Amino acid sequence: MRNKRSLFAVPYVIWMALFVVIPIIIMLVYSLTVPVETAQGDVLHGSLENFTGMTLYAGVFGRSFWLALVATVICLFIGYPVAYLMSREGPGFQRVAMALIMLPMWMNFLLRTYAWMSILENNGLLNQLFAKLGIISLYNRLTGSDIDHFQMIRTSGAVVLGMVYNYLPFMILPIYTVLVKLDNRLIEAAADLGANSATVFRRVTLPLSLSGIVSGVTMVFVPSVSTFAISRLLGGGKETMLGDLIENQFLGGAYNPHLGAAISMVMMVIVLICMVVMNHFGDGEEEAMML
Amino acid sequence: MSKELIRLKDVTMTFDGETVLKDINIYFNDKEFLTLLGPSGCGKTTMLRIIGGFQTPTSGDVLFDGVRINDVPPHLRQVNTVFQKYALFPHLNVYDNVAFGLRIPRETEGPDGKKQKVKLPKDEIDQRVREMLEVVSLKGFEHRSIASLSGGQQQRVAIARALVNRPKVLLLDEPLGALDMRLRKDMQQELKRIQQQMGITFINVTHDQEEALAMSDTVVVMNEGVIQQIGTPEDIYNEPKNAFVADFIGESNIVDGIMRADGVVEIFNRRFACLDGGFEKDEPVDVVIRPEDVDIVSEAEGQLRGVVTSVTFKGVHYDTIVDFYGFKWLIETTDYCPVDSRIGIKIDPDGIHVMKKSKYSGMFGDYSSYSEEYDEINDPTLIDDDEAEGTADEE
Amino acid sequence: MKKNGFGGRSLIGLCFLFLYLPIFLLIFFSFNAGESSAVWRGFSLRWYGELFQNRLVIESLATTLLVSLLATAIATVAGTFAAIGIYSLTKKWRDPILVVNDIPMMNADIVTGVSLCLFFVAFFNGWGGIARWLNSWQSLIEFPTRMTLGLTTLIIAHVSFDIPYVILNVSPRLRQMDKNLVDAAQDLGCTWMQAFFKVILPEIKPGIVSGALIAFTMSVDDFVISYFTAGSATQTLAMTIYGMTKKRVTPVVNAVSTLMFLAVLIVLIINNLRSAKQEKLNAKRASFEPVRENPRVERFKAWLTTPRGKLTKRLTALCTCVVFVGTVVFLTAFTTSRPVVNVCSWGEYIDEDLIDEFEAETGIRVNYQTTDSNETLYSLLKSGGADYDVVVPSDYMISQLIEEGMLEELDYSQIPNFEKIDPRFRNLPYDPENKYTVPYTWGTVGIIYNSTMVDGEITSWSSLYDEANAGQVLLIGNSRDAFGIALKYLGYSVNTTNEDEIRAAYELVADANERGIFQGKVMDEVFQAMEGGNAAIATYYAGDYLSMLENNEDLKFVVPDEGSNWFVDAMCVLKEAPNYDNAMKWINFIASTDANLRNMDFIWYASPNSEALEKYPAWYEEQYGEELDPEIYEIMAAPQEVLDRCEMYTVLPRATRTLYNNLWIQLGI
Repeated sequence: MRNKRSLFAVPYVIWMALFVVIPIIIMLVYSLTVPVETAQGDVLHGSLENFTGMTLYAGVFGRSFWLALVATVICLFIGYPVAYLMSREGPGFQRVAMALIMLPMWMNFLLRTYAWMSILENNGLLNQLFAKLGIISLYNRLTGSDIDHFQMIRTSGAVVLGMVYNYLPFMILPIYTVLVKLDNRLIEAAADLGANSATVFRRVTLPLSLSGIVSGVTMVFVPSVSTFAISRLLGGGKETMLGDLIENQFLGGAYNPHLGAAISMVMMVIVLICMVVMNHFGDGEEEAMML
Repeated sequence: MSKELIRLKDVTMTFDGETVLKDINIYFNDKEFLTLLGPSGCGKTTMLRIIGGFQTPTSGDVLFDGVRINDVPPHLRQVNTVFQKYALFPHLNVYDNVAFGLRIPRETEGPDGKKQKVKLPKDEIDQRVREMLEVVSLKGFEHRSIASLSGGQQQRVAIARALVNRPKVLLLDEPLGALDMRLRKDMQQELKRIQQQMGITFINVTHDQEEALAMSDTVVVMNEGVIQQIGTPEDIYNEPKNAFVADFIGESNIVDGIMRADGVVEIFNRRFACLDGGFEKDEPVDVVIRPEDVDIVSEAEGQLRGVVTSVTFKGVHYDTIVDFYGFKWLIETTDYCPVDSRIGIKIDPDGIHVMKKSKYSGMFGDYSSYSEEYDEINDPTLIDDDEAEGTADEE
Repeated sequence: MKKNGFGGRSLIGLCFLFLYLPIFLLIFFSFNAGESSAVWRGFSLRWYGELFQNRLVIESLATTLLVSLLATAIATVAGTFAAIGIYSLTKKWRDPILVVNDIPMMNADIVTGVSLCLFFVAFFNGWGGIARWLNSWQSLIEFPTRMTLGLTTLIIAHVSFDIPYVILNVSPRLRQMDKNLVDAAQDLGCTWMQAFFKVILPEIKPGIVSGALIAFTMSVDDFVISYFTAGSATQTLAMTIYGMTKKRVTPVVNAVSTLMFLAVLIVLIINNLRSAKQEKLNAKRASFEPVRENPRVERFKAWLTTPRGKLTKRLTALCTCVVFVGTVVFLTAFTTSRPVVNVCSWGEYIDEDLIDEFEAETGIRVNYQTTDSNETLYSLLKSGGADYDVVVPSDYMISQLIEEGMLEELDYSQIPNFEKIDPRFRNLPYDPENKYTVPYTWGTVGIIYNSTMVDGEITSWSSLYDEANAGQVLLIGNSRDAFGIALKYLGYSVNTTNEDEIRAAYELVADANERGIFQGKVMDEVFQAMEGGNAAIATYYAGDYLSMLENNEDLKFVVPDEGSNWFVDAMCVLKEAPNYDNAMKWINFIASTDANLRNMDFIWYASPNSEALEKYPAWYEEQYGEELDPEIYEIMAAPQEVLDRCEMYTVLPRATRTLYNNLWIQLGI
């Protein structure tokens, strides 16, 4: 009977093969070919040109990974304590918490990011507030500068802020889920064995919530490193990010899907390697638990 | 007489307006094996948690060696707990679980009177962990992960983890609840042995009367947040204080009686000789007669006469239900009496135990619904949810 | 464990404030009487009223809901069965499948989107051949030879990334389920199917529900994957918003989002209240207290077990299904009611009343889409993402499209209004024999500056690279214009293919970039920045300057002395356009004098229609009762002496284009 039931998975397997695996293979094919102009039109030739030419974009890779890393670390430092505190609230709150975190997604993230634009603009709400509070003139007096606003939008800082804002829920949620499920008796047991609250956290809570941290970090880092909307809206398009670069090769000015595919491949591989390394922590634990 | 170690004074505990413990006064002696026994929801686990420091009583004091410790957090108490379902750290192996408490630096007063944190040296930790694993017969399991252990082995790790810290008191919260019947019997012996070897106080919580009787020096029977009786297992069995205790511990027929004089009690309008005294004349009382204390005799010889309504073979004896004037008794006898046969019974004076009337009078002791009750008692799925109730407010 | 004190609570509160602040802001400004999302001009429900008239928003909302509903429904059913199937597999098979299942979740959205896009395009290319072959073999079924990205690909993509979420939510429930349950049910006489419906399904229902909810949320919120797989004829709300964020987000979008947000909020509140009640009930049951249910509820439950009640219950279920199917059918009809002419133009580049007028006049439905640059348009056409009839590219892009054989010749006999096109705008170099194009607008590129933020008048491109304006200059966001301007400033031709000259231009821009002159690289984002006084200097199109002037009177425009680029945007028809005749009608309609006048008035770009161009000042006076500022007219329709200073772009050879791209990317590093 069990085997018959496994037939249920067949349509799904076909679907996933068709729309997940094959597209990635096609992407690989694209990345390994270049169009060559001939009399009969463009003909594809196998080549590693797309990859070798990518050294030009090392800076883009560097910046994207750096900004995504900064955003991820900030998310972790905000998200963990918040998730931790939330997990200690009563069951009434816990019922609401999930909803509260999911709810913002119903307002499109582009629109929310756009709202940040109006907050951060040179003439935006925040600068207006600063001016009213006299912070800008205070700053001018202190540093001897003469500015009428703080430049906040169209900076790397704004991009990181956008990432943190958009992806913070994805950090909080998995950590929160793990922490809520954490058996309270384990904490009591640790306290019973003489651990004060700091030690309990370091020796029990933290290691046991590692899997939540790993998935949180993944869920923040991956979209951050590949975003193009956020960097374009809040970063003023000044500094190219990986997402911009890829988008530009497909639907932007520099139409070259082969290069775009190659960049996507490289990004995918780097991200996967990061994941494998990270999962080594998480899964190792899990295996220890399952053995 | 060994010395008193822990005392609860007028301890009351309420959750959301519901009283879980009511004016508890009890003391625990050094080196004794004490069991808190009661049905689920009786407050026994709450009491344990108060001693462990996980809950603070609503009112009343907890004294340890005469010092009030209400506000001492669990990690500073010289008490360790073996948790229900053990609460072993899944991310650590057996060795690290046991070593957990030892690796935590303790605050001690240095030679200059200043408080300083002291870490145990590595080899001392190692020695103590290995010793302890030997005590619980888990030598060679050091590097096994928790999930790979059987229930009994996990139980031993939990005990080792607690005992390695050399507490003055070990609290055990339904330690055998998750084990199967055979293992439970073995572990009862094992626990007793460990307690004697370590020479410290064990406070055990259970709802299994057999376990309580088998292991304990002292049994505390609780119900509805009130201590019903404290005594040795023998006392509790032979001299139950009220109908609840009598019914909860072992099988018993509880009938209404009237105390006609010291040593004379009237049941079903017949007078029986008994050993109890000190009641007022003609005081209504509850009379407990254990099934094994009843002898079946011929109808003519019997002090009471009845009709057998059912017989169940139990191996050593038959469980025979006999109808006496509409009240059904359980009698354990080696003599086979067929159903519908008329028999008489005889009860020796030491088989009759007289109790004062209490709020439990009339609630227990009739075996007309025998089979159902029997099922309930033996139902292994009946798990004490006392614990869950105790922690509900913290989630 | 203790509960949080004040400090902990306030930290949670602060975090949620951070998450919700922009949302409150958006909701707040949806009630703004003005158009700005930063300046409050009083309370009004105006945008909620306009919502129903805004075709773009309503249509994309319908698409979003349709795609999300369908994808969620398919993914939920498929995912549930898949989870059961996977659950019964042996470990050897299960593990690799679960790895594949993780791919869409682990992978960056953009990689998923890109790989699907490539897959579809490759499939379509291959399909053309197969279909032709099939059609030549038999005449029973006519297979379409041309397929494009659209609703179908969008739904496929959404299903693909939704399924893993469903599986992820259902699997734990299956694992928790007692393995003997199904056996027990079968033992009691159920067939396997009955056991499935009576035992498995109720057991895993919570997982299915939460999986479906998450999938639906993900679908609605998704932008990146849709962006790459929807092509251009289909737009989700997110894509519409993305298009708008570049220029101006109309508060209509705030209104739509507020409504959606509130709807979900209400559902969640009801759901929470219900589960809170349930919990209390359970607590009471656990404490063996008699549970007193609301007598009305009790009566209702009793009634449900009567035959009539059962019937009603079934009818209700049926109705729910019907409503769901109905919604889907309605939305499908709404979003795919066969558009009869597909037009792709730039954002805010037409008086939208003209569309309605054309539809009323001819009965042809116009599917009007926009992109934001010639290069984007080219990419869309290349990637097979487009299903357009009429496009409106600029001069140099037209020649590139002609070169690559992507345009169809026009049938000028069907376009009598072509006669009115000024001879100056006929037979231009991009289409020397004028076989492919009818000009739409023309104009110049110049400097837009805020006179309150800049000292004196600007007459030269040098101000773009001047230290004095550090941090105040917006660089135009495409390589052709940005380097073209630099070339002009250096005295070279904008069409040079000389690598040294182009590199010199790059150095100029890169140097200024290094010195922090530029605040950002913008295209249509320039509107917000300049209108809001957030930057002092930008380079953009004359027509757009006039639009900005309406919102900020301090802005000035100049075509610098060094000269500049002048451009013509013209309507063309794509090869194999499915609606060729309708396209001709549309082009003729737009080329009419009346349409040109109204367009000119609306978008402030000069018309190539000589009659309209000439008449405009008088027409303006008639419409608004005031004289048209001649200066404005001159900026819009640059006089010949200005045009003489300017140069038109021609198509660059591929090598030069690659150089442009590489340099452009280097600039961003």
